[in-house]
Amino acid sequence: MTSYTLDVYMPVIILMAFAIGLVLISVFVAQILRPFKPNALKEQAYECGEEPVGTAWSNFNVRFYVVSLIFIVFDVEGALMFPVASIYRKFVEIGEGAVLVGSLLVFISVLVVGIVYCWAKGDLDWVRSFQLSDEQINQLKGIEEKA
Amino acid sequence: MFNDTFFLLSAGLTLAGALGVVFTKNLMHACVMLLGTLFGVAGLYACIGADFLAASQLVIYAGGVVILMLFAVMLTGGSSDQANKFGIEKIAGMGNTKTYIFAGVSVAVISLTLLKIMAGYMKTFEQGELPPLTSTVEEIGTLLVTDHVLAFEISSILLLGALVGAAAIARPRKG
Amino acid sequence: MSPSVNEYVNQFEIHQKLVAMVSDFLGFDASGLMAFLVFAVTAFAIVNVMALIGGLGTYAERKISADIQLRQGPNRVGPYGILQFLADGVKMIMKETIYPAQADRALFNLAPVLALLGVFATLAVVPFSSGFTLANLNVGVFYLIGVGSLVGVAVFLGGYAANSKWSMLGGMRGASQIISYEVPVTITTLSIVLLAGGLSFGHFVENQGGFPHEWFIFHNPFTFIGFFVFFVGMLAETNRAPFDLPEAESELVSGYHTEYTGMRFGLFALAEYIEVFVLCGVAVAAFLGGYKVPFDLGNGVIFVEKLGLPAIIGKNIGQVLQLGSFVTKTLALYYVVIWVRWTFPRIRVDQVMTICWKYLTPIALFNLIGVVFWMYAFDNQSLWEILSHLGGGSHGGHH
Repeated sequence: MTSYTLDVYMPVIILMAFAIGLVLISVFVAQILRPFKPNALKEQAYECGEEPVGTAWSNFNVRFYVVSLIFIVFDVEGALMFPVASIYRKFVEIGEGAVLVGSLLVFISVLVVGIVYCWAKGDLDWVRSFQLSDEQINQLKGIEEKA
Repeated sequence: MFNDTFFLLSAGLTLAGALGVVFTKNLMHACVMLLGTLFGVAGLYACIGADFLAASQLVIYAGGVVILMLFAVMLTGGSSDQANKFGIEKIAGMGNTKTYIFAGVSVAVISLTLLKIMAGYMKTFEQGELPPLTSTVEEIGTLLVTDHVLAFEISSILLLGALVGAAAIARPRKG
Repeated sequence: MSPSVNEYVNQFEIHQKLVAMVSDFLGFDASGLMAFLVFAVTAFAIVNVMALIGGLGTYAERKISADIQLRQGPNRVGPYGILQFLADGVKMIMKETIYPAQADRALFNLAPVLALLGVFATLAVVPFSSGFTLANLNVGVFYLIGVGSLVGVAVFLGGYAANSKWSMLGGMRGASQIISYEVPVTITTLSIVLLAGGLSFGHFVENQGGFPHEWFIFHNPFTFIGFFVFFVGMLAETNRAPFDLPEAESELVSGYHTEYTGMRFGLFALAEYIEVFVLCGVAVAAFLGGYKVPFDLGNGVIFVEKLGLPAIIGKNIGQVLQLGSFVTKTLALYYVVIWVRWTFPRIRVDQVMTICWKYLTPIALFNLIGVVFWMYAFDNQSLWEILSHLGGGSHGGHH
């Protein structure tokens, strides 16, 4: 296995420094060139002509949180599979592929069970459809027939 | 020389981020400082040659857990300067003499213990050289399939449990 | 394995002599310093070219959309309007910075920085050519996925910080879209890692050939489907084309960058265009043969041996050919990305999530299992190799 030195991370740091430098330069140049006359009317949030009411920092729907939870689990799954995937080709070449096929299949199938569960329980729907129980359906029908 | 610079940058970023998380009053700012800390930790991993670990730190923590925390904060309505509504004196049990004495005593005890342990190390301290850094991805892959295959498979069941549990908790209650 | 720029440049005697001269002059071993200078100069060049591509990308988008919509597009500033992006840049710098009254100033300033940081850090691993890759990290593609998710955080913070309802909705939707589509993209990349045998981009590209039948996209039918899954995922990750609900013009005003003015908005737009280019480059490297030139012209061996040119010129001609191949393929994909934007209607947010979790992720998992079985059954051979063996087996009879 070839060895590397830490110099290989130098471009990463240099590029990050360039990004920060670009932002600083553009903001600095802009400070010189552009006007800065704040007044209360300009600083109102834009709501297509209406007067803005309240802040935007209200409670959000739980669906965003569920999506990010499911994403984390699949992200960790992918991260765990990366080393095994990088070694697969060598194993197949020396004829030991069956071991890896087995372990990869077990790993993937457990997570397929997970996604099937979330699908069946409706966690993947953006708009949750609640299932009414039979009494509730009868109640609604009763109300409709009376009305 | 780049090794030292890289280490100092990563360590500095980690410490600055961690101090920022602790001392800021705004919850969203704390999450963003945590992002900086996790970046710094990834840099520290890269410094000692754990390149796969550094990349997975970036992918899972900086790319996933921080967004999870930001979404969780937004679930509860953001942070609207609640630190200003209750000054530190008005919360019961905060800021009176008993608390300061207790905090001071525990800080003294913990730091003295740590210093005693570190002093034992520092007397026999020799700076060694790192072995030449090789790619760790293939080694981790081989070990995961040969020696630690049970851990590999059980981790998938653990992830399944986490998925089912989290989805069950986050599901809206019926009725 | 393709080296990084520093190793590539080090193989030429001129560079070695230069390092020795500088070492004598300074009195200590200057190889680290020279490495830093090589990296800095190359990074600077790449950043400038990327900024140029970002600017020309806006111009190209306007011209191509005009062509599709049977109108002219910008044609006043410079010949054929090609300097339009410079005029836009100057305009953006001169615009006033307006901080919304209830905005969170620190995060408001930080969001474009994070977006640009994430995108520039991905530039470090993109394989432009075998000698021009800035850093051929051993965990290349994994690192790229990780740093690319910084853009998701930046989108969310941009939406949050401005404290406007449009921005907030755009930011939340944008962040959830980006993280959702990372799952099929990661799983499809996994199937390519299986074929390539390593995580670095050097592995990806060196295991493909110059001709189309040697590319990974035609290796087996599973990677063929995988390319399209990756492409759709890439469109959604960059908030482009039919998935641009977070910045939807008719629905959310401008989504998460509603309240940004002037240069900060310019930085967000620049980050987006560069990210599209980088992800097209990743798709080219993973599926379409990367920088490989047909007939193996890329490694300059033919020029040195047959034409008798000195090594430095022969290899550099090879590098230029490889660079040209990579850039051509990437720009062709970029054109398809722009084409798709002006062809399809925008997708609704619940449809976006349904496509990702109920269609793309199962297809990506199916592809992964398919590639695992293909490699096991056929011993890593591509479809063409199998067909040619079948055809050749009936002729010769030896393997």
